[in-house]
Formats: sequence, structure tokens, C-alpha cells
Amino acid sequence: MTGVVNFYREREPYILGGGFIVLFLVAWESIPLWVSLSKGVSLFFTTPSQVTVKFYELMADGTIEEHFYISAWEFVVGLGLSIAVGLPFGLIMGRSRTLDVLLDPYVTALNATPRLIWLPLLIIWVGIGIWSKILIVFLGAVFPLLINTYTGVKNVDRVLVNMVRSFGAREWHVMKMVVLPYAVPYIVAGLRLAVGRAVLGVVVGEFFASTKGLGAMIARAATAYQVDVVFVGVAIFMGISLIFTFAIKKLESNLSRWRPEAVKTF
Amino acid sequence: MVPYIQARNVVLTFRPKNRDPVTALQGLDLEVGHGEFLSLVGPSGCGKSTFLNVLLGLLKPDQGDLQLGGKKITGPGYERAMVFQEFGLLPWRTVLANVELGMELKGMPISIRRQRSGELINLVGLRGFEHHYPHELSGGMKQRVGLARALATDPDVLLMDEPFAALDAQTRDLMQAELLQIWDRTKKTVIFVTHSIEEAAYLSDRVVVITSRPGRAKKVLDIKLPRPRDYEMRLSPEFNDIKANIWHSLKEELVSKGAGDGR
Amino acid sequence: MDVKELYQKYQRVVLGVISLTTLVALWEFTLTYVITYNPFFFTTPSHIGAAAKELLVGDRLWRDLAVSSHAFLWGFSAAVIIGIPIGAVMGWRRRVEYTLDPFLTGLYASPLVALAPLIILVFGVGLTSKAVLIFLLSVFPFVFNTFSGVKSTDQLLVNVVRSFGGKEWHLYFKVILPSTLPYLVAGARLAIGRGIVGVIVGEFFASSEGIGFAIAQFGDTYRLPEMFVGIIILSLIAVALTEALRKLELIIAPYRADMESR
Repeated sequence: MTGVVNFYREREPYILGGGFIVLFLVAWESIPLWVSLSKGVSLFFTTPSQVTVKFYELMADGTIEEHFYISAWEFVVGLGLSIAVGLPFGLIMGRSRTLDVLLDPYVTALNATPRLIWLPLLIIWVGIGIWSKILIVFLGAVFPLLINTYTGVKNVDRVLVNMVRSFGAREWHVMKMVVLPYAVPYIVAGLRLAVGRAVLGVVVGEFFASTKGLGAMIARAATAYQVDVVFVGVAIFMGISLIFTFAIKKLESNLSRWRPEAVKTF
Repeated sequence: MVPYIQARNVVLTFRPKNRDPVTALQGLDLEVGHGEFLSLVGPSGCGKSTFLNVLLGLLKPDQGDLQLGGKKITGPGYERAMVFQEFGLLPWRTVLANVELGMELKGMPISIRRQRSGELINLVGLRGFEHHYPHELSGGMKQRVGLARALATDPDVLLMDEPFAALDAQTRDLMQAELLQIWDRTKKTVIFVTHSIEEAAYLSDRVVVITSRPGRAKKVLDIKLPRPRDYEMRLSPEFNDIKANIWHSLKEELVSKGAGDGR
Repeated sequence: MDVKELYQKYQRVVLGVISLTTLVALWEFTLTYVITYNPFFFTTPSHIGAAAKELLVGDRLWRDLAVSSHAFLWGFSAAVIIGIPIGAVMGWRRRVEYTLDPFLTGLYASPLVALAPLIILVFGVGLTSKAVLIFLLSVFPFVFNTFSGVKSTDQLLVNVVRSFGGKEWHLYFKVILPSTLPYLVAGARLAIGRGIVGVIVGEFFASSEGIGFAIAQFGDTYRLPEMFVGIIILSLIAVALTEALRKLELIIAPYRADMESR
């Protein structure tokens, strides 16, 4: 008996947490057994098993592949651009007080505004092609990266900077030896946020300005009452988000081992 | 001396999850007289802080008899108040509001609270700082707030858990002298836990040496130094003898702790 | 205070205003005198200004804002009322944390916006679906920030209050609540941003009123100046709310140097 109790004690978090998720799925699956659904409701009801079946179906006939590559491309290019812009700008703004003061109001204003609001304008400028999505992804992801990089750079311990300078290091050395390593955990945290925003950007961009891509697939399926397809799309996005989030969280904790205090994220 | 506080055969074992149980106190006996200043010294982890929490009523012993003024101790009560090592001030309250905390919980009316807290803030030497926040105060000042707070509910017993351990040496000396003055004026019964033999000898009427874990009262020493005590006494040969006595009793516990400590 | 001191104090604001005015002036100048532009793709600040005057005087824009705010308030209030208690219980009771944390973290990390078409399918077009979407998006910051806040309550302070004979509800009000408040405000700040996204997504999809719809409609009809007015107004609101909450955070918790939030 104590063996079972100990086993439970050691793994309690996993048992309770995993158990709840399993319970949730089982309950969902069995709703049609308990409640008889009216004709209207059953139109937009589906169960986990139906979703899984649909997933395999769509994988088999290549629908998912086709949409996935488009979404993935938008994601990668958009995220890449945001790193290419966000990182340098964050670094420079963190080190240069003039630029900081100059650009800060714009960054604050743009960050607080929901990126989606630019979509109609983007559609006017670049049409409904792939670039409107890439730009929405970019706009969503660039700010967490920029702001976190900036914060990381700005918070660098002055003492360390002065110490390195006292050895005759030039700005470039200071950057490389002190600022960058110190800022890395912040940057990675920013990356985690950026990835989340990027996925959002893909979803939302494709909802409103696409015929291809997983988001578009979801939107179209919804209008056709194909709820199981909707959930397949949602599940794919969820899965990808989770994988990225946990991977980057792992990276964060590995890189932050030397830090005593919590890294500021938002 | 009729024992005001009486502890007999106190036993307490901690049972943390996923770890082996730890017996903190094994048959601890203690008697404290009314108005007495008693110190507990012992090696780290010997259970002296645990015992203090038992007296406070935050921890329940597995076995043992605890009496205060003839009545059993069953939980926290207004006749006992604690001063904590890490101060424990509510960071979002001013000094004044922090001192009033105990009185608030006791349900005392505002007018009385204000009056008392004003008096106590004066007593501990913090006049003018009533509306400051803890993060604006030094360690010594924070502990004075802690002391004022503990005195505010007019307890009969003050339990002090290494209150000066987090302070620098000079502040510590200062606080010790002030504590003695305050004790002299308020006539409380004080049970003082410390690592410092010097501190225990300087402050107390009696010093109890606690064994290493599991803790028991090993030796009780009377401190026959006249009151009021001053700093000069610390330099006297009598004081050194007292310290030596305490040290001899304590030394064995430190050695055995090193050998038998399973950590 | 003379001019120099005033400048030091409000340096950022002053420089911000200066750079903004310069930008706007440059924009106006370039598009009016230097380049000829296609009015379907660009517009000038003066046109935007004219459109602003018109829109602000008329009641169309205000009605739209009212509709959007209405939906936002419903969804956001629901998020506050439901999210905070859940987070609090999770922070206070370990078992609840173990049970709910993986599930809720999974949901928080996923783009719940992806469910928008489904929500609109189920609840139809209008207030309900918008409110549901806003709720789904803004509830999680409240859950997790409250959770963080309650969980990080200093055990020492709990002991202090207990030692003075404080009962359970004393603990809630005198220690846990004040201790959690900064986290709550930070959570509100995050939630507002996400909630506004919910409003816009809901309105973009299928609505006949609301600020998001207005902007989309202006876009569809290539009325750029009006569209910019809408964007700017929404930006101002978003910035104002976010900055107000930041200020509130600083007021409530000057003693907290750094805070963790998701």
C-alpha cells in the first residue's frame, strides 16, 4: 500500500495535471452519450475522436501539407525579419541614449496598438498575397524582441562595463564581452514572446486576407460547418505553439542558470 | 520562583513530503520565571527556533505539556508576541501601520491604536519615521519596527528569534543595549534565541544550552551579573568566565553535530 | 521652475512631441510638394486632419466606439470575475495548481484566436461572440498573474499575521491581497492588449458596427484618411489604457523593483 502512496506522492503534479486533461478529453468525447443534442447544436459539435480521424484524412490527401507550408513560410520569413530588425534596434537603442529617447514614444505607441489594426492598410499596400501576412507576423513579433533586447542591454551592470573598459576595450568589445552575454536571457525571453505573436499573426492574417494557409483553412471550414476541420487546424496551431514555447523555455532556463533573479518578461 | 512558563517533555517531529521525518525536539524541558530574560543557545538546526514557534502557538508538538501562567498553550494568543529575524514587515504599509498590525487584529479601536503606536515608535527611537515605508529603512530600523509591533499588543511574553542576526555588528550592539533598556522599562518576560554566546550572556538572567538535533535542554546557567548591564561588563573577567562556561557546554554539541548530522 | 528644469523633467515627452511634429511636417511636405502620390495608396496629414474633424463631429464614430467598448467591457469583466478567483485558488492550494496548470498553460500558449470562426459560428454575429472571444483572450493573464501573485506571497508575512492571532480571512485581506495587487495590475495591462485584439478580430469577421469594422470598411472603400483616423484613435485609446496601468503599477508597488509576468 505504501508503495502506491509513495508512487503517487512523487508524481502528484503529473498525475493530477495529466489526469485532468485526460478527464477533459474523455468528458468531451462522451457528451453525445449523456446529452442528446438538438439538430441545431449537433451542427457545430465534434468530438476528439472525430477530430483525430479528420486529421489523418487531411494528412493523407495532402491538404494539410499544402496549407502548412504556406503558413510555415509566412511564419519563418516574418519571424526572421523581426529578428533582423528587432535585435539590432534593441541593441542600439539600449546603448544610445539619444536614439532611445527619440524612438521610444513610437515603440511604446506601436507596441500598445494591436497589430491587427494595420491589416486593412497592409492589404491596400501589398494586396492579399503572402506579403501582407509576412508583414503582420513581422509587426507582431518585432516588438517583444526589440523591447526585451533593449531592456536587457539597458540593465547591464555598469560595474562590468567599466571593468572591461578599464582594460582598454572599445565599444565593440564591450558589446561582445559584456552586453550581449548579459542580455541573452532577455533576448531569448523576447524570442519566446515573439514566436507566440508570430503564430498569432499567421492565424489572424490568414483569417482575413488569404485563401491558402492553415488559418484560411480554418476560416473556410467554419463557414462550411466543418467543425472537425476547424479543430484540426486549431490543434495544429496549438501543438506548434506548445512545442516552440517549451523548447524556448528550456533554452531560457539553460541560459539563465547564472542569474539569481527572475528575468523580466511581459 | 514559580515557573510562569513551563514546558515539559516537548517532542516534535517534522514529516516533510518525499523526505525522511526529522525530529526537531525530543523531550525538551524548560521553566521560565515571570519577568525573566532567558536565552536559548545551541548549534544550527537544534530546534531552538522550532521551540519558539511552539511557544508562540504556530506549531503543535506531538507530545508534551506547555503551560503559560497555569493555562495550557493551544494556539497563538495576545499574551505572547514574536520578533522575527527577517523582520517580517508588510512592505506596503508604513511604519505606523505596521506597528498597528497586532492591535488591528486584536480589534482595538483606532484612537487607542494611534496613541499606543505613537508611544512605541518613540520608545524604539523612530520618531519622525511614522510614514516611511520599510524599503526606506535600514535593517536596524526595521527591527525596531518589529519590536514596537510586538510590544504594541502589550504581551506578557516576548519571543525573539535571533532578532539581531541580520544586523551589522555595531547596530547589533546598539540594539542589544536598547533592548535591555526597553525590557527594564516594560518588565516583559523575554525568551531570546541566539547563536551568539556573547549576546546571550550579556542580555540574560539565565542561559539554556540546547543540544544538537533533536533538541533538549542540556544545561542551564545563571548569569550572576548585576543590572543594569553596560558595555564595560563585557570586558570583565567574570564575563569571560561566564562565556567560557557556556562555550564548554555548547562545544560538545557543535562537535557531535558535525559527526552525527545526517545532512 | 525655469525652462531648463522643466525640460529635464519632461525631456522624453518634449522630444517625443518634437520628433512627432517633425515627422508629420515632413510627411505633409513630401507628399504635397515633392512627390505626387496615388490617393488610393497614400494620404497626407492634412487630409487625415480634415477627416478627423468630420468624423469626430458626426456621431458615427462615437457609436462605433460605444459598440466596441460595450463588447469589450462584457468580455473583460467576465475575465476579471472568472480569472482572478481561479488564479487565486491555484496559487493558494497546491493540488489545484497541479491539476489545472498544465491544461491552462497549454491554452494560454496556444493561439486561441484560431477559435474565432468557430465562436462566431456558434454564437452568431454580434455582441455575444465578441464578448466570448474577448473573454477567452483576456482571461489568461488574469489567471496566471493572480496565480503568480498569490503563490509568491511571503510566507514570513503569513507567519507574522498568524503569530498575532490572525484568522484565515485576516490573511486574505491583510497579506495576500496587498501582496498580489501589483501582479493583478500587471495582468490587467496584458489582458487589455489581448482583449482589444479580440474586439478587432470579432469585428473584422462579421459585424456591422464597431471601431474595428469601421476601419475595415474604410479600408474596403479606399477611404484612407478616415481609416487612419480610426487607427489613430484606437492607438491612442490602447496607449492611454496601457500607460495608465503602468502608472498604477508604480503607485501601488513602489517597493517592487522587478516583477515577473507572462
